[in-house]
Amino acid sequence: MLPTSIAMITDFFHPNVGGVENHVYMLSANLIRRGHKVIVITHSHQPDRVGVRWLVPSLKVYYIPFVPIASSATLPEFLTFLPYLRTILIREHIHLIHSHASLSSLGHEGILHSHLLGVRSVFTDHSLFGFDDAASILTNKLMAGSLKNVDAVICVSHTGRENTVLRGELFEKSDTDPPGLSVRDSVYVIPNALVPERFQPSPPPPSEIITIVVLGRLVYRKGIDLLVATAPRICQKFPNVRFLIGGDGPKLIDILQMREKHLLQDRIEILGPVRHNDVRSILVQGAIYMNTSLTESFGIAILEAACAGLYVVSTRVGGVPEILPKDMISFANPDEDDVCRAVGEAIKIVTDGKHDPLRAHELIKTFYDWDSVAVRTEAVYEAVFRSPQMELWERMKRTMQLGLFAGPIYTIILIVDCLFFLFLEWWMPREDIDFVREHWKQDMFEEMCQEAR
Amino acid sequence: MSTEWEKVLWKRQDHPDNHIVPGSFLSSLKKNANFRPYTYWPVVLLSCAITQHVATIFIFVSVFVRLKENYLDPHTLVWISVCCFFAGYLSWELLDRTGAGREHRRANRVKAAKSSILIFLALMSLSPVLRTLTAATSSDSIWALSATLFGVNALLADYSAISLGGEVHERLTSVLSMNAAISASVVLASRLANDLAVFALILFSVQAFALFPRLRHRLGLCPSTLRLAFTAVLFAVSILITGSLSRTVTWIYAAVQLGVTFLAPAVLVWAQKFKNEIRGPWDVAIPKVNC
Repeated sequence: MLPTSIAMITDFFHPNVGGVENHVYMLSANLIRRGHKVIVITHSHQPDRVGVRWLVPSLKVYYIPFVPIASSATLPEFLTFLPYLRTILIREHIHLIHSHASLSSLGHEGILHSHLLGVRSVFTDHSLFGFDDAASILTNKLMAGSLKNVDAVICVSHTGRENTVLRGELFEKSDTDPPGLSVRDSVYVIPNALVPERFQPSPPPPSEIITIVVLGRLVYRKGIDLLVATAPRICQKFPNVRFLIGGDGPKLIDILQMREKHLLQDRIEILGPVRHNDVRSILVQGAIYMNTSLTESFGIAILEAACAGLYVVSTRVGGVPEILPKDMISFANPDEDDVCRAVGEAIKIVTDGKHDPLRAHELIKTFYDWDSVAVRTEAVYEAVFRSPQMELWERMKRTMQLGLFAGPIYTIILIVDCLFFLFLEWWMPREDIDFVREHWKQDMFEEMCQEAR
Repeated sequence: MSTEWEKVLWKRQDHPDNHIVPGSFLSSLKKNANFRPYTYWPVVLLSCAITQHVATIFIFVSVFVRLKENYLDPHTLVWISVCCFFAGYLSWELLDRTGAGREHRRANRVKAAKSSILIFLALMSLSPVLRTLTAATSSDSIWALSATLFGVNALLADYSAISLGGEVHERLTSVLSMNAAISASVVLASRLANDLAVFALILFSVQAFALFPRLRHRLGLCPSTLRLAFTAVLFAVSILITGSLSRTVTWIYAAVQLGVTFLAPAVLVWAQKFKNEIRGPWDVAIPKVNC
């Protein structure tokens, strides 16, 4: 693919840490390595992360002065982002925007505005949502509104794709007989990846003790109730097992109480909050990784553990069954007895020496890597550039399909957005915008570093 | 394509990333999995609790109007309240027979007697204060306030019936509902002319809004004919005593009651055909923990 310039738009980015943040950064870095120009547009962070910053390797980040309302997401305002976005896209000569995460209003606004400049749009969904609570209903409608006019959608797992297609109403009336609904063919599945070199397994310590590692936020959705119920039973049944629990969250207190109640202070070690840099050193102390999540779109933590040579026990939820071959993972239903059974099975596999950490690491190296993710994403971009661009009239027609109430509301927003854009064209003419002419030059940077020394 | 498509991410497949195998997509989607359709008559029977509650509110309001206009002697109202209390207590005891042990019931009885005497005396001593409580407020505000409070009461009331041998779980909303009703009756009572009338009205409101809902919970256990008969009697009483005060209000009231009892269940049963509940592997699993 010819090099192009891409803007990643998301509410979730560095200096915050998390799955989406890491994904956006890694994808950008690998696209840059493949010769593209990538910038990131996100909201500002307290106290002083505003303006333009550079990250290695030559990734330019625009921190727009918007205030997040809850868990780092901004308010869906629909129009306020346009003046910033227009200026940035014009001055950076952007041809394609790629927005991330369905709770990121900045990303949705980007999709809404991009067509005004003839810029193509791609959306990546990272999470799973239900359909039956008020928050999901609202955010799903918001997402369906912006996804009506997006050029391509990428999901991180097959389960995630099914979920996104339903939530974002990504189906079209097909001409088959009888006429039915068919899924848009611009919905792709490209998994997350990891850097295997960061999760090098270390040889297991020569002892009889088997360590079960649990790492992650200690919240309800991660199934900590199951952990609290099963850990004492496992400790009782297998005297050579110890637990290593890392992470922080409201459920930490439950785990502490359980440890106290069953007098397991010498068997269950609780580490508290863990920095991302320390994850590997904690993982390699164990032989089994236990994940009791109640919902999981992709389960990158499981992958990291498997890559570090641990055998994985997980609940069968969301996209988890897709990420590893059956001989590297044991599944349990989300109930106490079955989790105990699966852990027992895993302990047997590990004590019998049937699981080879180094082999697992080598295998995962071949399964997932960021370069192939970047190549597959490039293929999506290419398909988007090949596809014809929608006219405004067609956009309006599609938006009206959203429903009796949402349809007209979104169409009005779409039209007002166009008028606002025309106003901006008059008020801040393109000719006056300061274009970026000099790009990052790695060799010049190195030269300057040398001189400074 | 040469190889079969699999729903896995770890294997590099020959198919493009947007490949969808017809038939496999959304194969684990379940529609209306836990759906139990309602039928008309059971819903009508359940709506009786609402009818009873609304009837109580209207009976209370018309009693207030009668007291205010001096159509009703406060002494009579006190005696009616006392009779209602004993009748209610008797039926409570009858319904409670299956519940706790003999000793426990005796203790309960002593407690009930103690607290009823306490409330009786407290109300009696408080009624002069309550009578002048809102003297500085105009009557219009009082009507608006009490109407709002009764609305809150009807909206938040707990209309569920307890299961056999189950304890009544007091929820926050039902407590709020009771408070709203008692406040409404206090502000209404402050419009009355003499202390005895105030006392009688508050006593009646305690019967109607604090004790009756608890009894109604228990009534949920009774055979349905009894419940229907009880609802009909309450409705008839409310129509009778509202009817002689205002024709228009009675017609509106009767229409609302019939709508709640017969029309609303029909709408609910009809609307079920639009039910489309979807479940799939993306839903948050419910952890099953023994104990």
